[in-house]
Amino acid sequence: MEKTKAFNVKDADEWIKHLQQCRPLPEEQVRVMCEKAKEILIDESNVQAVQCPVTICGDIHGQFYDLLELFKIGGELPNTNYLFLGDYVDRGYHSVETVSLLVALKVRYRDRITLLRGNHECRMSSQVYGFYDECLVKYGSPNVWKYFTDLFDYFPLTAIVNDSIFCLHGGLSPSIDTLDHIRVLDRIQEIPHDGPISDLLWSDPEDREGWSVSPRGAGYNFGEDVSMAFNHSNSLSVIARAHQMVMEGFNWCHAGHVLTVFSAPNYCYRCGNLGALMEVDDVGSTRFSQYDHAPSQGRISITKSVPDYFL
Amino acid sequence: MATSDADDSLYPIAVLIDELRNEDVQLRLNSIKKLGTIALALGVERTRTELIPFLTDTIYDEDEVLLALAEQLGSFTPLVGGPEHVHCLLPPLESLATVEETVVRDKAVDSLRIIADQHSQSDLENYFVPLVKRLAGGDWFTSRTSACGLFSVCYKRVSTNVKAELRQNFRSLCADDTPMVRRAAAGKLGEFAKVVESDYLKSDLIQLFNMLAQDEQDSVRLLAVEASVSIASLLPSEDTEQLVMPTLRQAAEDKSWRVRYMVADKFTELQSAVGPEITKNDLVPAFQSLLKDCEAEVRAASAHKVKDFCQALSPDVREQIIMNNMLPCVKDLVADANQHVKSALASVIMGLSPILGKENTIEHLLPLFLTQLKDECPEVRLNIISNLDCVNEVIGIKQLSQSLLPAIVELAEDTKWRVRLAIIEYMPLLAGQLGVEFFDEKLNSLCMTWLVDHVYAIREAATLNLKKLVEKFGKDWAQQTVIPKVLQMSRDQNYLHRMTCLFCINLLAEPLGQDLTTRLMLPTIITMGSDPVANVRFNVAKTLQKLAPHLDQSSIQTQVKPLLEKLKADGDMDVQYYALEALEGLK
Repeated sequence: MEKTKAFNVKDADEWIKHLQQCRPLPEEQVRVMCEKAKEILIDESNVQAVQCPVTICGDIHGQFYDLLELFKIGGELPNTNYLFLGDYVDRGYHSVETVSLLVALKVRYRDRITLLRGNHECRMSSQVYGFYDECLVKYGSPNVWKYFTDLFDYFPLTAIVNDSIFCLHGGLSPSIDTLDHIRVLDRIQEIPHDGPISDLLWSDPEDREGWSVSPRGAGYNFGEDVSMAFNHSNSLSVIARAHQMVMEGFNWCHAGHVLTVFSAPNYCYRCGNLGALMEVDDVGSTRFSQYDHAPSQGRISITKSVPDYFL
Repeated sequence: MATSDADDSLYPIAVLIDELRNEDVQLRLNSIKKLGTIALALGVERTRTELIPFLTDTIYDEDEVLLALAEQLGSFTPLVGGPEHVHCLLPPLESLATVEETVVRDKAVDSLRIIADQHSQSDLENYFVPLVKRLAGGDWFTSRTSACGLFSVCYKRVSTNVKAELRQNFRSLCADDTPMVRRAAAGKLGEFAKVVESDYLKSDLIQLFNMLAQDEQDSVRLLAVEASVSIASLLPSEDTEQLVMPTLRQAAEDKSWRVRYMVADKFTELQSAVGPEITKNDLVPAFQSLLKDCEAEVRAASAHKVKDFCQALSPDVREQIIMNNMLPCVKDLVADANQHVKSALASVIMGLSPILGKENTIEHLLPLFLTQLKDECPEVRLNIISNLDCVNEVIGIKQLSQSLLPAIVELAEDTKWRVRLAIIEYMPLLAGQLGVEFFDEKLNSLCMTWLVDHVYAIREAATLNLKKLVEKFGKDWAQQTVIPKVLQMSRDQNYLHRMTCLFCINLLAEPLGQDLTTRLMLPTIITMGSDPVANVRFNVAKTLQKLAPHLDQSSIQTQVKPLLEKLKADGDMDVQYYALEALEGLK
């Protein structure tokens, strides 16, 4: 056991250095990395306990250079502790490099970074929204996609920071009243079409009271009364979630009972939104940092040469 | 595959033929890339008689393979027996120069251009020139396009008759029906002009230039602009004025912005090609109109050239032209509606300062700098800040601090962190020029504020800045102004700031030396070894490892090692890891 551990630390350091230059890992190393990550994640709870200080971040969606920008704002691992709320893949150009880097960091610094599952961390979504195709282009086979989607089944669903900030990707579920309900779920599976696991990863807060059907086709919309009751009965101060793009990068709703954090600035490279992260310090007080998308490589964006398509 | 022992020498070519027919592109590609080795194994004779004909016959492959082949053949001359046999490379390259894929064709032309020089004069006329003529008369535009690039490499070394034919061929290509061919011809006109005798330059090529510059396609016209740079540099001033300038004046006012963009983009090259007299009379008004162009791209391209253009004006009229003709345009650009234009100007405008000197800078340029420093676009602000140093030298730090310092201080708290970063990076320079008293009064507190910035990258830059300041102002200054504030951060309630304290200590140990590090820093580090947050504790371990060379042996034995031993047994695995690593490092 001790021997494999030492071997992995060195390996993981190499992976991280390689990935930080936005270069995909060789397929075989992805396989080894995902196997190691499974060993770590299987020990984590459905409601993973996280101690402050920690920095909480929302969707990344394959925007690799914006992830590097996020680390410039929040600090590098392992010095800064991170909790990510899911949706690492799909939509952006660099899902492979993004999720590889995050998983490599998890393997190297398991106590410094927590990776929750988002609704895109599954076979269904990632086949449609880009991750599958990207793996095919970058590796010539779907193997890497399979390694990662198999790994996603192990990602914890929720986390709780300092017993008071409840963190998850989507939102609440009508079939869940207490955190213990979540703790007993069997999460190691593809995200089902409906039911509590799907709800936690798909639901959104809404102005209307009570529960209503979600236009997304999965999860529910839940009202302020629901959030308030849930926070009260579980002695929580706030539900911190991601899942929805918000222009300022973070957004309070439900009278401060629900917070949305979104960390993909200029989402899909065109939305013009800021990204944000929330730093919870040693004593549990919070501070937000907003940031622009990373500048494009090469500063001047004017067409230097005349493109051929003008002909 | 047959590997008979009977004829081992056949083995390499057998492998090649085998792999060239392999279904896997990658294998074919590998085999093409090893072509040189295989030719070497075959020897020059068989390379000429077997390999090259084989390659000529098998040009049907994927573009990737063809590209590799086209490239290889450019350096094949020694492998076929040197210059006297180089012409045997022409058939495969001729085929490659006609394929549909542009990249392959261009590479084939590159290789042909390389080997042209290696032909003897008679081989050039017997083999190379006929190839050029065949390509130029080809049915498909692909071969005619390729032909355009081959004239300049063979023209000089052929007889007068052949030269006349080549000029005739080139003329036809310039008048080709297909715009792609005319484009290629226009693109090569400049280099052809350089090898053609000056009589023909004036009688023939100028005509072609004027024809291409009037082409119905703007993509052709803009390439003619490029050629005009070479042509103008070849002609004496009066000929340029008469033969080239009328066309160029038109190009600067072309109805297509892409042509005007090209003029703007090539402006300084044109300037040096036409010489000072024509610049003064013709280019100055043209430049003014480009700076006022209705297309932002054109304005931005010309704004980029403002400094270089002004610098290259002849000294006797320079100041007068800048003041009367350029500055009014520059002033307009400072208030341009397009941020790319403003940003392009901001990247060069500071360079006018050394040209204009102190008085003019203060009176005319400083107000523009100030406006751009406050521009709403961060890129513009950034470009100004990044070039401040060239103004220091002209107007002196005192003037600079009076007029620009308030704006700089304001930018030090800019909401965009990259702007703050640029200001920080400017600090050591500013510190060096302001002197310690002035610095303490105006900027010291800013430098300290950056240490607790919300953005990690700023905190990191601030620690580096601190090191540079200490190197500049010395240990005493550090002890009085910096160290107390750094050590104070070790008690901050945010772990990120406590770690910043450690990062500072890491960097300051070197300039502070053993005594101060041991006396002032070590006690704080040791205390932080029992920090409640693991991240701080493992950074203590990392810091101790780094600091060891700057500490005395007794402290290492009595304080550092015991603490690391304790951290090695910490409950956190990362603390254990870095403590162990530090202990290893101490051995």
